[in-house]
Amino acid sequence: MKRLKEGDERAFQELVTTYQNRIFSLTLRFMGNREEAEDLAQEVFLTVFRAIGSYRGEGRFYTWLYRIASNTCKNRLKYLKGRQHHRSIDIEDSPQAQLPSEEGGARQSLQSQIPGPEAVVRGNRLQRAIQEEIAQLDAEHRLLIVLRDIQGLSYHDIIRITGLAEGTLKSRLHRARLALKKRMDRHMR
Amino acid sequence: MVTPSESNAAELMSAALDEQLAPEEEEAFAAMLAASPEAREEFEQLQDMLKLVKGLPEVEAPPDFFEKVAKKIRRRKLMRGETFLLVSLPFQVLSVMIVLAIAVTYMMLQLERDPASKLVRDAATPSDGVSEPAGDEDAPDKPRDETVTRPPAE
Repeated sequence: MKRLKEGDERAFQELVTTYQNRIFSLTLRFMGNREEAEDLAQEVFLTVFRAIGSYRGEGRFYTWLYRIASNTCKNRLKYLKGRQHHRSIDIEDSPQAQLPSEEGGARQSLQSQIPGPEAVVRGNRLQRAIQEEIAQLDAEHRLLIVLRDIQGLSYHDIIRITGLAEGTLKSRLHRARLALKKRMDRHMR
Repeated sequence: MVTPSESNAAELMSAALDEQLAPEEEEAFAAMLAASPEAREEFEQLQDMLKLVKGLPEVEAPPDFFEKVAKKIRRRKLMRGETFLLVSLPFQVLSVMIVLAIAVTYMMLQLERDPASKLVRDAATPSDGVSEPAGDEDAPDKPRDETVTRPPAE
């Protein structure tokens, strides 16, 4: 952290490579658009680079980083909605998503967990549907789903990131899951 | 039996789905499911959906991600640096530079307009047959190009 605050580029590179997958995953699942997600993830690290001097070392570093990432995502979404420009592409259909992990694509697919060709087709279809439907939720709901259900962060960390009280987090998370379930119902039948 | 309020039920449901129920909450949750078939059905459906959500493939940033970030940082630093350079120059130096630029431009314009200096420049320039004034062609005492006017020597 000391090296980072002194502007050491190598230290910054280490930070980026340590967290880039998690931040990219967050922005991708949040936005549902690979190009937008990559640009957004870059912006997150640019903000970190500029603001690292103001990081006081309270709490875990990655909750500070995630707070920046969450705010960046929400602000971008607001901006895009303002411009009525938001479009979501089917990220799992994009060529990069189909590449092996070394090439920056999918690492572990849902289809690998479901045996049989019919189940594979259904698994693929549901994956696409989930991503599409997550990207249709409102910003707060999709953030909670991504942080808790996709990234697997603990309640404690999500509270530090979002500033919500524990009870509020649990009830909002429940509403977010219900909203997603409602949207997913037509795909699950 | 105490029926949990709506917000309490939501909190219990979340905690149960995340396996985060406190021991004292487990009993309340079990009672809630026993009392409400709808709550049980909702819980099961949410469990199924979360399995799908958690099964989404992991994604990785592009391999050149850091290079792109570094490039953006350099570009923005450069932009800030240029602005800083202009602003940080002392006012006197900027004024002198502007006055000098105006003076040079003015002098160059004056040179172009001044006919005397133009003549001096023309005289100093060797004749190449292209820049020669048209009126000189008919001057009687001006020697002609011998290769054209003289007949071949016998």
